[in-house]
Amino acid sequence: MSVEFDEGVAPVPERRSFLGLISGLIVAGISAVLGVTIGRFSIGPAFTASSGQDWTELGPLDEFAEGKLVKKNVIVSQDAGWGKFQSQRSVWVVRKGDDVKVFSGVCPHLGCSVNTRADKFICACHGSEWNDNGDTLAGPTPRGLDTLEFRVEDNKLKVKYQDFKQAITEKQVLS
Amino acid sequence: MLFAGIIWKNKIMAESKLNKLYDWLDERTGIKEITREALDEPIRGGARWAYVFGSILLFLFAIQVVTGIFLTMYYVPSADHAHASVSYIQKAVPGGALLRGLHHYGATAMVILAVAHLAQTFLFGAYKKKRELLWAAGVIMLLIIFAFSFTGYLLPWDQAAYFGTKVGASIAGEIPVVGPVQQRIMLGGNDLTTVTLSRFFTTHVFLLPLGLAALVGLHLYLFRRATPAGPFHNRDDKKIERFYPKQVFKDSVAILICFVALVAAAKYWPAELGPVADPTSDYLARPPWYFMPLFQLLKYSPGKWAIIPTVVLPAVLFGALFLLPFFDRREERHPLRRPLATALLILILGGSIGLIFLARHQDRTNPEFAEKLKQQEEDMHAYFAKPFEPQIVGGAAAALAASGKAQEPPPAYSENCAACHGDNGEGSPIAVGLIGVSSKPQRSKEDLLKILDDAKPYGLKKPMPESFPKIPPEDKQKIVEWMMTLKAQ
Repeated sequence: MSVEFDEGVAPVPERRSFLGLISGLIVAGISAVLGVTIGRFSIGPAFTASSGQDWTELGPLDEFAEGKLVKKNVIVSQDAGWGKFQSQRSVWVVRKGDDVKVFSGVCPHLGCSVNTRADKFICACHGSEWNDNGDTLAGPTPRGLDTLEFRVEDNKLKVKYQDFKQAITEKQVLS
Repeated sequence: MLFAGIIWKNKIMAESKLNKLYDWLDERTGIKEITREALDEPIRGGARWAYVFGSILLFLFAIQVVTGIFLTMYYVPSADHAHASVSYIQKAVPGGALLRGLHHYGATAMVILAVAHLAQTFLFGAYKKKRELLWAAGVIMLLIIFAFSFTGYLLPWDQAAYFGTKVGASIAGEIPVVGPVQQRIMLGGNDLTTVTLSRFFTTHVFLLPLGLAALVGLHLYLFRRATPAGPFHNRDDKKIERFYPKQVFKDSVAILICFVALVAAAKYWPAELGPVADPTSDYLARPPWYFMPLFQLLKYSPGKWAIIPTVVLPAVLFGALFLLPFFDRREERHPLRRPLATALLILILGGSIGLIFLARHQDRTNPEFAEKLKQQEEDMHAYFAKPFEPQIVGGAAAALAASGKAQEPPPAYSENCAACHGDNGEGSPIAVGLIGVSSKPQRSKEDLLKILDDAKPYGLKKPMPESFPKIPPEDKQKIVEWMMTLKAQ
């Protein structure tokens, strides 16, 4: 069998060596390739644009009673990675003759749910109030209620749901 | 001249500053001692290409850990979403195909390199005297690598994963006495379900990595303690080199070759992903190549003999490997002077490779299998070539998506039922959702109609009314017909 050997007999080589440099470069190269791949993998999907919402039908136009504040639920679809996550959101419809307004049910202040009291829109969270035209009457809300794009086809009211940035004075779409 | 002199002076000053920083760090961390320990290990007989396998394995383990951690950033361990999330990683996430490919081929490479490492150690007789525990730890690590393969194989939840694991689970169930219990524990029930997927996931990403990491530490410690065995011929015993730089260089080059091979494989032969698991299909399951030898032997073992290749043979093989250094106590290490051991190694390795090729050959020449396997491969490629399609998730909307177009509920439903069961049957905090209700027991069309007339015999809880006398029978019919269209995705 082999002889026992004394660890001390082998000279300790100089730390700086060409082979050492090459080894270091190999390690650095592999780390760089992995690092870039992982970086793209982790961060990339955060910057993909989400597809816009489809038109959602709210029902026949003449079923919305004149001057009433009517709540309707729409199904919204949210692109998130491997799934399209569908959930419901509320919108408010006010019809005065041919003049129709569809409001987002999200308070432009801090995102609570808008509700109604008598013929006013209110947000119970922080006490904002709006008239049936969406104009601010009271409270900390930075802007009037957000209107949503709509169209009427074959007497059916359709809306395009969108989310807007909160707590700023201008209405700005989140996408 | 003056210019060169200034550069020279700056260089010296920069170096002395670096040295000071290094000293400062050393005082607090002992980094010099650690570096010496790590790099100056003496290697009997000098650096060799034959020693690179262990280092490559350590590198591969690191690759598996790093890629694995990041894959879980998008992967969802649920039978409903696993396949969609893997498909998303493979087809849509930037760098996803490469990362998953590295993990996929890294796993294969680990099996190959672990066997190569074991074969080299066996051939060099490096498991003998002082190195028994080192070897035994290595044998357990090989077992863990196979457990990694088995648990990881299910995670994509495609056809191959589902049916491959189904066969594996059945094999585990065949073990006498403990089999059925073991199978239930493994599956988390009596069938392959989302619970199985969860526990395979936990095992794959938490338990096995912890176990392997601990054994890597033990293996390295025992290795350093025993010192490298050196070549079997003892001719170069006087020659002693340090680990750094020659062996470090050889290891680095081998690691680079391995990494380039993995990247190339991931790029040119992307990791496969077939259509989502369909338990009703007649998918022809085939194990990954490294389980093929056992699969082939299974064909020669009818009936109760099936446990010979599936259980007895692997148990005997690993038991013998584990105990090898304890009964092979001769000091002789030269492979040619250990003809029995060398012949056994060649027989087992050669036999395994032969069985793999035989299994492939039989699949190719059997017209029935060949056609089915070809069809499955075509299905896989067809699915793979399709662009990524996000999975649609969410109660009411899923029903609408399944029926193609929004099917409006009948007015009688909206008036009488929607307040509790939701505008589209999605349910609410006070009442269950109605989506997929028709597939539940005691909820046939006739049952549902009877419930609307008299809910009492069905034991429904309040606030569900016991009956709806105000709804005319034809409207009840419409409500139930609409309910039958509410299908879960």
